Amino acid sequence: MAAPLVSKAERTYIQASLQATPPLRGDGRGLLDFRTVLLETGVAPLANGSARLNIGKMPHEGGGGTEVLAATKLEVEDVETGDGVDGGRVVCSVSCSPSAYPHLSSNALDELQYDLTVMLQQTIGHPSLHPQNLTIIPRKKSWLLNLDAVILTDAGNVVDALFMAARAALWDTKVPRTRAVEYHAPEEFRAPRDSAAAMDIDQRGGIPAVSGFDTREMVRTAADFELPDYWDEGEVLHGRERWPVCVTLNLLPPTHFLDATPPEEASAPVRMHLMFSFASSNSPKLQSMRLLGPGELELTQIKSYIADGEKYARELFNALETKLREEDVRRNVKARDRFALR
Amino acid sequence: MAQSNFDRRRINGPDESYQPLFESEDERETRWKAGEPRKGRAARDIRPIFLKAGLINQANGSAYIETEKTKIACAVYGPRQSKTTVYNEKGRLNVEVKFAPFSCTRRRVPIRDAEDRSVAVQIQQALIPAVRLELLPKSTIDIFVTIIENDGIEGCIAAGSVAASVALADAGIEMLGLVASSSAAVVGKEIWMDPTEEEGHIASGSLVLAGMPALGTITSVWQSGAMAPDEAIKCMEACQECCADVHSVMAQSLLENAPNT
Repeated sequence: MAAPLVSKAERTYIQASLQATPPLRGDGRGLLDFRTVLLETGVAPLANGSARLNIGKMPHEGGGGTEVLAATKLEVEDVETGDGVDGGRVVCSVSCSPSAYPHLSSNALDELQYDLTVMLQQTIGHPSLHPQNLTIIPRKKSWLLNLDAVILTDAGNVVDALFMAARAALWDTKVPRTRAVEYHAPEEFRAPRDSAAAMDIDQRGGIPAVSGFDTREMVRTAADFELPDYWDEGEVLHGRERWPVCVTLNLLPPTHFLDATPPEEASAPVRMHLMFSFASSNSPKLQSMRLLGPGELELTQIKSYIADGEKYARELFNALETKLREEDVRRNVKARDRFALR
Repeated sequence: MAQSNFDRRRINGPDESYQPLFESEDERETRWKAGEPRKGRAARDIRPIFLKAGLINQANGSAYIETEKTKIACAVYGPRQSKTTVYNEKGRLNVEVKFAPFSCTRRRVPIRDAEDRSVAVQIQQALIPAVRLELLPKSTIDIFVTIIENDGIEGCIAAGSVAASVALADAGIEMLGLVASSSAAVVGKEIWMDPTEEEGHIASGSLVLAGMPALGTITSVWQSGAMAPDEAIKCMEACQECCADVHSVMAQSLLENAPNT
């Protein structure tokens, strides 16, 4: 990606040490080891769901690492007159903070943003992952889910960080509950024009045969909606077990390695991004695959990379799941307990 | 009210406008249902290709490709001197893609947007491993791809890569091999090659593969959608076979154009 300049000598030095036996990396990790990943959800109180992820922060030296902040925001869209689609839609965008890429011009930064946005949008916005509960009133109003990610610093492996943060933010998203309402004018009742009759007919605008509490008909003819409870509560976004995780294999034949730092990324420019979805544990789905960089592969190599990538993605997925459930417990159950004890 | 759509250089239409509603056509009834075979072609057939090199005389090399409803013209200018003052020991390959405003069902604005760039990035990824850029220091090769009619974005990317590769050969730029590209989609349980736009919408996943059949290698893979890993591998194998067929069409068109150069 956008790596700082690395000289030829440095590049061959890194390549030689990665291909040596045993393989050596600058920070002493193994080829398949990730740096420490820190995750926190619920960081943006105004967003419907948010997460902040950091790979490779060094606490003793005060910071660093790749940091990505992802947040989801729901907007109401009109299906008939606006851009809305019946069933809702998901739009992703990535923006790179200029402080993360000080050596790039603004044009190059824009292009990097476009590329990452397209990668995120095509994977997450694909119809096979579309959540089911984004409809408010069928054929009239629907939710637009905006997933925005900001890259605050880049110390390598930004695509993996982006997808992990996106998954965490989508996991955290709560869709507000809505109720359909219909505004009904009271029925007109015309008095008979009989000037002679001085009868005082007690006319009450006809008591409808259907009870006012029966809302079945209303949903079909509903014109608008209201929010019955507070904005904070709501139901979780459907399909949260389907969101994919990404694992980037940096290819340096005959080996490959994970979680590259910027000099390593510059030395092994050929990369394969694999996005797996583990909705059901025994049949993972490949949601997206990208080969980037100036290199060519044979089909047998690609097959082995997909198989290896699946193993690594599964470990990553399990670790992320555990952490997300812990976060859920921390923010909901423990917070309630602390409040009750106060 | 001057909102963001106010374009000073053009005559603006009304702020709010709606598309005309047509009577539902007969095609609605013949929409594809799960389990039905493909309409018009076998599952593994690609659309017939018309490929002609050397159509644009002004450019160093050019090609025009047409596969049923997808029409793409490609022009190559180069190698010419890099405008930048930074010394680069390998040449640069610069791909620019432009969708004509009338190419898609809904009119596209003439301003370059993100979709243009994503097609350009994929065509560049397909070509870069094949072109011998180390023989062209300080130079740039510019490839301009114009999409005149678009029937399926995967088909566009595949056809664009094929046209660009033929144009590069027509310009006489040294390459390791001709790059052929093809696309596939998974519909239900079958694999359909070379999907059109409609077929792309009903597919659960799609894949575009580019490679050099002469060397048996793959230069670019781009897959999206829910596919089991072995389905993806089957798609890639089918695409590779297709690429070999496309390669012979490309070689034929270059031979036909050779007497004219």
